[in-house]
Amino acid sequence: MRISVMSQMQRSFSIDLPSLIPLQLPSRRYTHLWYVIPDEVKSTSLLKRYSQLLSQTEKDGVDQMRGDELKKNALLARTLVRTTVARYQTNKAFDPRSLMFKKNVYGKPEVDWQNCNNQPLHFNISHTDSLIACGVTVHAPVGIDVEDKERKIKHDVLAFAKRFYSADEVNFLATIRDPEAQRKEFIKLWTLKEAYVKALGKGFSAAPFNTFTIQSIPGTEEGYSLCKTSEVTADPLEETKKCNGEWKFALLELADSHYAAVCIEDDQANEGAPMRVIVRKTIPFVEDQLISERIFL
Amino acid sequence: MATSFSFSISMQARVSDLSATTTRFCLQKPASIFHNGKTNLSFSQRHPIPARLAISCAVKQETVEKVSEIVKKQLSLAEDQKVTARTKFTELGADSLDTVEIVMGLEEEFGITMAEERAKEIATVQHAAELIEELIQQKTA
Repeated sequence: MRISVMSQMQRSFSIDLPSLIPLQLPSRRYTHLWYVIPDEVKSTSLLKRYSQLLSQTEKDGVDQMRGDELKKNALLARTLVRTTVARYQTNKAFDPRSLMFKKNVYGKPEVDWQNCNNQPLHFNISHTDSLIACGVTVHAPVGIDVEDKERKIKHDVLAFAKRFYSADEVNFLATIRDPEAQRKEFIKLWTLKEAYVKALGKGFSAAPFNTFTIQSIPGTEEGYSLCKTSEVTADPLEETKKCNGEWKFALLELADSHYAAVCIEDDQANEGAPMRVIVRKTIPFVEDQLISERIFL
Repeated sequence: MATSFSFSISMQARVSDLSATTTRFCLQKPASIFHNGKTNLSFSQRHPIPARLAISCAVKQETVEKVSEIVKKQLSLAEDQKVTARTKFTELGADSLDTVEIVMGLEEEFGITMAEERAKEIATVQHAAELIEELIQQKTA
């Protein structure tokens, strides 16, 4: 079931930056997915204002990037995170500059709420050359990954999969005759697997790609489930698979140009309930556009 | 007489780099680090040593150059784009998929296999070169 809602664009232009329009926190089971298209942000004065939001460390990070385009994208990524998280704060005058960030013990970025404990908001960010996305949830860790649909893999797709993906995933890809279709499925799987590892937030070694399989749920259009491979017995042929519903996945297309995978940890209270993703395109301080609201079973 | 072994160890405190694992020595040959009674270690005992250290040792320039070439090819960089040992992949715009493709290219070039977890943690050309030389060393040992 798919619900697509297009709303009017809200524009607010101003010489100085207007205050950010606040947002309601997502409900449980909802992921808010925000994205920016760098090519649509052209105003140098706007970009300059964005850079004023960043911490010194973030500015240094932007400066380290080689070339203007990479610098701009790095700036937009930090701006998207800061402004989006700031908008969900209940204090309406919340200054995005005041947000502090830290990494968990495995290196996953998160908000440093300082003295305010039990903040329910989680976020995760992903970017490509041409699109930057930020996912927001409450009470559930989230991971997102975006990839350009047309991204070319420089190696042979099956060789790459055999090297890094699980055996079941390799078998699935091997059944696809058309190389273009095979490449696309490879990219979709990549985003789903990355999204899971990022949601897990325990670093790459916690979930090497060949230790789990993500596969379509039969009978659904876009449902995916996670199965972990574990070698319980001495006989390597007797690998057992444990498929669980603890992790929910959504795979969407953004701007007709990108695949985006969202992965959240299923709250026990909501077990079996569908996952909903609300997609909005944004230019921070300038406009929001509601793109779609989708349900994933 | 102490073995003359000319290399420099530079201690880099990567306090903010939580992906760094434990201290590791990448000496290729057993050698005394004392030379004429003096140490070659260039750090002062007065500075508190952070909990996590990365010791970078001298890798072959040839390895660094081959790695740089593969990185440039994977990321479709211009020939004149400067890539040195300390260049971070992310600075060049590489994402995780690029890093994995770079690793595949390195595996093919050097005839080695990298564990996925270590491969994905490679951040600089230097790291890649060190890991490659370590794996080659293990292979020929």
